Amino acid sequence: MILVDNLHKSYGPLHVLRGISHRQQPGEAVVLIGPSGCGKSTFLRCLNQLESIDSGRITVDGITIQGGPSAQAPEQREQRRQLRLRAGMVFQSFNLFPHLTVLQNICVAPMVVKGASPEQAEKRAVELLAKVGLQDKATAYPSQLSGGQQQRVAIARALAMDPKVMLFDEPTSALDPELRDEVLGVMRQLAEEGLTMLVVTHEMQFARDIADQVLFFEAGRVAESGPPDQIFSYPQQARTREFLSRVQTR
Amino acid sequence: MSSRHARLHASAGLVCALVVLASPVALRADHLAEIRARGVLRWGADAEGGAPYVYPDPQHLDRFIGFEYELAEALARKLGVKATLVQNQWDQLVPALDRGNFDLILNGLELTPENQQRIAMSRPYYVYTQQIVTRRDTVGLSTVEDFGSQPVGVLSGSVAERLLTQRSAVVWKSYPGNVETFQDLKVGRLEAVLVDLPIALHYAKPDPSLKLSGAPFAMGYYAIGLLKQDTTLRDAVNSAIEQLIRDGSLERIYRKYGIWDERQQLLKDYQPPAVTEGKPKVTFAERLCYLPLLVKAAGTTAELSLLSMALAVVVGLVLVLVRLYGVGPLSWLAKAYVEVIRGTPLLIQLFLIYYGLPEIGIRLNAFCAAVLGLGLNYAASEAENYRAGIQSIPHGQTEAALALGMNRWQTLRQVVLPQAARVVIPPVTNDFIAMFKDTSIVSVITMVELTKQYGMLAASNSDYIVVGLMTAGIYFALSYPASIFANWLECKLAYDSRRQPA
Repeated sequence: MILVDNLHKSYGPLHVLRGISHRQQPGEAVVLIGPSGCGKSTFLRCLNQLESIDSGRITVDGITIQGGPSAQAPEQREQRRQLRLRAGMVFQSFNLFPHLTVLQNICVAPMVVKGASPEQAEKRAVELLAKVGLQDKATAYPSQLSGGQQQRVAIARALAMDPKVMLFDEPTSALDPELRDEVLGVMRQLAEEGLTMLVVTHEMQFARDIADQVLFFEAGRVAESGPPDQIFSYPQQARTREFLSRVQTR
Repeated sequence: MSSRHARLHASAGLVCALVVLASPVALRADHLAEIRARGVLRWGADAEGGAPYVYPDPQHLDRFIGFEYELAEALARKLGVKATLVQNQWDQLVPALDRGNFDLILNGLELTPENQQRIAMSRPYYVYTQQIVTRRDTVGLSTVEDFGSQPVGVLSGSVAERLLTQRSAVVWKSYPGNVETFQDLKVGRLEAVLVDLPIALHYAKPDPSLKLSGAPFAMGYYAIGLLKQDTTLRDAVNSAIEQLIRDGSLERIYRKYGIWDERQQLLKDYQPPAVTEGKPKVTFAERLCYLPLLVKAAGTTAELSLLSMALAVVVGLVLVLVRLYGVGPLSWLAKAYVEVIRGTPLLIQLFLIYYGLPEIGIRLNAFCAAVLGLGLNYAASEAENYRAGIQSIPHGQTEAALALGMNRWQTLRQVVLPQAARVVIPPVTNDFIAMFKDTSIVSVITMVELTKQYGMLAASNSDYIVVGLMTAGIYFALSYPASIFANWLECKLAYDSRRQPA
């Protein structure tokens, strides 16, 4: 489903990703943890090509992007779009479209990109809103919603494109603690339903509960990976232990 | 001169009195003594396209020549002072004299009852006639009766303009200067030009493509304009002119410029006609007669603004899209267009489009040229408004749209532009209202819009305040609804202020 091979990415002199490789099967939920600035978010953004890659290779559901000088060529543009169609993204700052209602936020991409009829798109949107528990907010504008509600709409919006994999980039970091659980609850449900997910988060309990695999990022590399019990209970690396002791006593 | 104007114009007696009282010259006990003390006679004239009266010397562009320039020098010598030219737009010379910008007007000012009621006039220094000028190959068109509905050019505010105003059948266009008039005659926008003989002699006679058509007619006098209370100055000027006539200086100057003719003999024995004092009041009903003219001109102004703005809004959008999303050289061109257009005056752009393009074979009528000039000028400004609007939309919006699989155009169309539109409504509205007022500039390419109509009515009736208030009222009545509409649109589209029960 997801295959990443020796991925490198630099911003000028800053070498952010230093050879990431990753393999993920359909239905797997993978959680990325690690200190700030370690490259987890950049990795996620590379996966759906919001950032270009310098070298290495990404394959998502059969669509392959090869890093290198030709990666930015115009003919690659359609390839990148195809990849994004397969990878839904949920952002830390929600990024709902403020000029559209909740329903329109969810319907716009299926209609514009996939040519869905308004009826089809709306029917699906209503189902998804029910799934995230916001069926009564269809006609509201994003500015009328709480952060937790907005993030749930953003999840529904991404799901409306029927992606093969969902990428969550710190989806609860911008939320007050009491609003996080409603978003995490939706994500838990999605994991239980067997959605392929890749989640960057600082919520360790959540990671422990839903992850099939945990990747610990440090300085642009995967320092340690394994099932959550192993990473959280018996970390092999000193740096992993140090990080976990810091975040868990906080 | 026209009796219609004489009847209308006196009116603003109080207004004139106020203007005179408010101006510094009103307090001068003896203007002549002041000029002598100062050692300088300031004379008002328009040297822009002012040949052969007063104009920059083609050999030394920082100096002036012309028969009136030499006359002013001679006159000043007789008064024992030096002459200094004060440049002033020709059709605004009388108001400028009232304001005290200069001591007298010496610039082809006709000795007419209208002028004599507004200001004092000296004894005449030149006998002029009207002359029709056509292209050399034109047949006929040797009298005003021949004009029919063929377009005739005149100088704004001139005797010729007033002559043709009284003939409703004639299609006349008024120009800010003589050069433009003859140029439009040559490129075929006009079939004839009606001007004072000296102008025809200077511009048309040496030009092989033009000819003087028919005999001179409608004789009149040029005289010096002075403030009414400056009686000592007027006496001194009159006696100086008489000396210049008697000693042959005047003839020498006129012969030098090729404008001497037998009619000038009349100057020697000129007797001033009795001036009728006591101005007839312009009644309210008569002022109402201005309204249809002003409203018609306002229609032109509105039409111009709407079409120009429509052009600006569309071209501006193309410009900004090419600039932000176009490939290298195209993007650079769009940026260069914006910078060049923003960095050059609208007036010059209009001149280039209207008077310049015919030189390379593109001849637009005045209305098209005006819409094109205003529209292309404001397009640059709208492009910048749009750019600010587009760049104010957070990048996360674009990323969210791309992440949903939209291509760049869909992202722009569905997400960025609808949000940017709300941001740019206030500055675009502001530009629209500014353009609405900027349309007044197109009078330089012969469009008669609201401001030009105001200028013509106010100048010929000496009714600046009342006509001015009426005109300003019309402008406001048209622009204020535009503001209200923009506010309404802004509120309607504002999503963050919208509240509904959740």
